[in-house]
Amino acid sequence: MSLLLWILVIISQLALVVGQIFLKRAMSRRELGAEQAQGWIGILVTGIAAMTVWFLLWLGVMSRVDLSKLMPLEGISPLFIVLGAAFFLGERLNWRGWAGVVLTCVGVFLVSAS
Amino acid sequence: MDDASPALLLPKPAPGLFWNPYLQIFLTVLLTAAAQILLKVGADGSSTDSSTWSLLGVKELGSGWTWIGIFAFVASFGGWLYALRFLPLGLAFSLTNGVHIFVPFGSWFFLHEQIGLLRASGILVIIVGILLLAQSVAKAEEKV
Repeated sequence: MSLLLWILVIISQLALVVGQIFLKRAMSRRELGAEQAQGWIGILVTGIAAMTVWFLLWLGVMSRVDLSKLMPLEGISPLFIVLGAAFFLGERLNWRGWAGVVLTCVGVFLVSAS
Repeated sequence: MDDASPALLLPKPAPGLFWNPYLQIFLTVLLTAAAQILLKVGADGSSTDSSTWSLLGVKELGSGWTWIGIFAFVASFGGWLYALRFLPLGLAFSLTNGVHIFVPFGSWFFLHEQIGLLRASGILVIIVGILLLAQSVAKAEEKV
């Protein structure tokens, strides 16, 4: 892959992580009482906008790279999502959860190295 | 390490198998895998086009396969938003790694892409990782 394609992949993955954190925050806020839930639609729309950026960039890269080679690159994002969720949403995983996340990332690296 | 799961603090879903957030995650994974394969079929149609519109993914919107893929993505998105109401983001998103199992098999079956030994090993490791994640959920729910 060329440098430009790598940069587009990184930007798309960042947009994915930001979008998912906004979506989760919107859906969590929706569960709160009416007063606290105010503004959840705006957060949802921001999340969807970030996901749209991810989607279009991903589509552009996909037209130039084999799907089975490209998908593993996306697979590293769960690690960033877990870290982002811990930092911005205060989520925590137990040791089995962390082991599962790390193993899936290792699996993704193996697939991408093939 | 803290063994508490934030899932315990989240609201309970409605009764019934269909409303189980883990089933919704599974359906999301299946639909996303189908969408990725459909988008690849649509994107292949413009792979020789080097224009900026094509690089930004706009040119690919001219294919019917792309739109069916988009429809599958939108359908998967509904299940995903539902699951997010009840599951922690980190756990739910990690479970969606199942897509890396279905996409290579789908790519092999429909697009005739190859799966070597290393790739098959990677898929196996991903399966073990997802099983560990599922076990972490089971252990957390046992404590309720």
